[in-house]
Amino acid sequence: MLLIRRFIGSGVRMLILSSNRITDYRKGLLHTMMNSEKACTIWLTGLSGAGKSTIAHELAPMLQARGRHVEVLDGDVIRTNLSKGLGFSREDRDTNIRRIGFVCHLLTRNNVFAIAAAISPYHIVRNENRALIQDFVEVYVKASLETCIQRDVKGLYRKALAGEISAFTGVSDPYEPPDHPEVICETEKETPCQSAEKIIRKLEDLGYLSPLPHTASDNGVYLAAEEELVMKRLEDLGYL
Amino acid sequence: MFNFLKKDVGRRVVVVSIDGVPYDFLKTQIAKGNFPNFKKLAEQGSMRRMNSVQPCISSVAWSCYMTGKNPAKHNIFGFVDRKPGTYDIFAPNSMHMRSDTIWELMSRAGKRVFVMNVPVTYPPRQVNGILIGCFLCTQIEKIAYPAQVSQELKQMGYIIDAEAWMARDSLDRYLEECNKALNKRAEAMFHYLAQEPWDFFQCHIMETDRMNHFFWEHMEKGDPKYAQAFFDFYRRVDEVLGEVEQRHGNDAELIILSDHGFCTIKQEIYLNYYLAEAGFLKFKTNTPKGLGDMHADSTAYSLTPGRVFVNLQGREPEGSVAPEKYETVRENVARALLEFKDHDTGAPLIRAALKREEIYHGPNVKTAADLIAVPFDGYDLKGDIKKMVRSEKTALVGMHTFEDSMLFIRDHDIRRGHNELWVGDLAPTILKMMALPIPSDMDGIALI
Repeated sequence: MLLIRRFIGSGVRMLILSSNRITDYRKGLLHTMMNSEKACTIWLTGLSGAGKSTIAHELAPMLQARGRHVEVLDGDVIRTNLSKGLGFSREDRDTNIRRIGFVCHLLTRNNVFAIAAAISPYHIVRNENRALIQDFVEVYVKASLETCIQRDVKGLYRKALAGEISAFTGVSDPYEPPDHPEVICETEKETPCQSAEKIIRKLEDLGYLSPLPHTASDNGVYLAAEEELVMKRLEDLGYL
Repeated sequence: MFNFLKKDVGRRVVVVSIDGVPYDFLKTQIAKGNFPNFKKLAEQGSMRRMNSVQPCISSVAWSCYMTGKNPAKHNIFGFVDRKPGTYDIFAPNSMHMRSDTIWELMSRAGKRVFVMNVPVTYPPRQVNGILIGCFLCTQIEKIAYPAQVSQELKQMGYIIDAEAWMARDSLDRYLEECNKALNKRAEAMFHYLAQEPWDFFQCHIMETDRMNHFFWEHMEKGDPKYAQAFFDFYRRVDEVLGEVEQRHGNDAELIILSDHGFCTIKQEIYLNYYLAEAGFLKFKTNTPKGLGDMHADSTAYSLTPGRVFVNLQGREPEGSVAPEKYETVRENVARALLEFKDHDTGAPLIRAALKREEIYHGPNVKTAADLIAVPFDGYDLKGDIKKMVRSEKTALVGMHTFEDSMLFIRDHDIRRGHNELWVGDLAPTILKMMALPIPSDMDGIALI
């Protein structure tokens, strides 16, 4: 029996901890709670419209749910502040990616998961960032140019194809896919949630996250039969 | 002399949450002398009426409670939601909650916590202590963090939830199950209250909500059999609270609260049927099974309770409403909602149709329904698309209300009026009691 006395104000509080109850999982938990697990930069690269931002915003809450600090650096947003004024020449694009990389580096070394969602079309600068940050997980967000043109969420492809935007990645400027990304998310075949879960599994494999205490199914929580039971329970309660 | 150097280390806190217990009901019963322990407690602090959230259902309300934030920040908007980009439905759980909970904040500050059965805590996220999940779990082996607690609960014969299908089969059997579940909950609570070191301890009693859903009307009408059984059940809840109070007289703060009130259901209203009658919703088949059977010309549809979505291009897989028409369609649907009537009595069904941005603010606001229909008490809004009727009366006889949840805090005077109190205020209140920092993005305001 381990007896701990804690003085609180003028009173004395005794916490009696039975030593056999302080088991390994709790030691493991304290380890987690002290934020001593390392963070990393998750670098999402791919064509405009491939799904980088969508995956980033699926992934962030999953990491938060594990008690980790997270920051999303969205390329479109970064260009309105940190990289405001930069254009789309090769030099300006490289500067933009280096700046994002530098911020990711600062965040990561302070135990914050940095999720960068930027087209980052060129090998060489992505690899520079990898060398700088070291704890770097490259995710290739893969979708064909045809699909991205079809999606055209921001209407940029239409303009690029009409010649209204010059040097547009995939249309009039090259995109160099990563040779050895840690994860490939094929967004024509996967939902954003499945892609984010794939990244989570990789982070577990690489030791950046402790695996959850439960076995995870496709949606991270339920096996199909369990999900059916939950929906039935909600229906019986009149919640459907 | 050196008082200014003393660090405020805060107090321990016990919370007993009693799902769906209305303030008015409790006040009346206390006045009648029915619940002696509630009465004794009420004399030791402030008992107040409190507002819930919209929609006033447990998953949303308790998520606001445990985060101190509005739904657009924590991302839980109902018991079911749409999978993004599809018409498929899923049950949001703790993994969808995009916020720290108070027990996670406490854990990181080195406090030990015990949390049992609070809605939307399954799957159990890691804490410094024990977290036992809620009725979104179907297998007891998976309900708790750490995993070995699940085994302990299994050995105790712990009941995750009184299964509501029983009520639709036999009210007697359900009554027995609710009592059994309550006793098992109390047994587990007192076991861990005695065995575990804790700085924060919360036990959630779900069975009150379950009883209210299936016996509220029987109680109000003074049914000779079930009204008595209803009060007997509540007397047992009162005993449990008395025991908590006895075991933790003054060595911890004590909070008791509910998340919404209750009233008798006049009719369950199938809002999608009304939307179809008004021309907003069409089906591909005469026997639709789900939202996937919605015709592509549809402009609006609903999920329980009263959450209405515009069938928007670019968001819904077969969206028909162009983004530039969104506001016009939303206005039209809102107007129509306010005109829907009880076809038997001619009484209006819906007292307000709120735009999401009127009541929610935060990064997940776009996940919310476009309109939140607030019904008049008695009209329980359902989203079941399979029902090809306007309304019906079923075994479900009680529904949630917004204005009548209850809050009790021992030894503190709550000076705000009930319209200035909501469940989100509890998170900063509890953190303050424990002398922990209150995150600046919490929407709730400490009550002490």
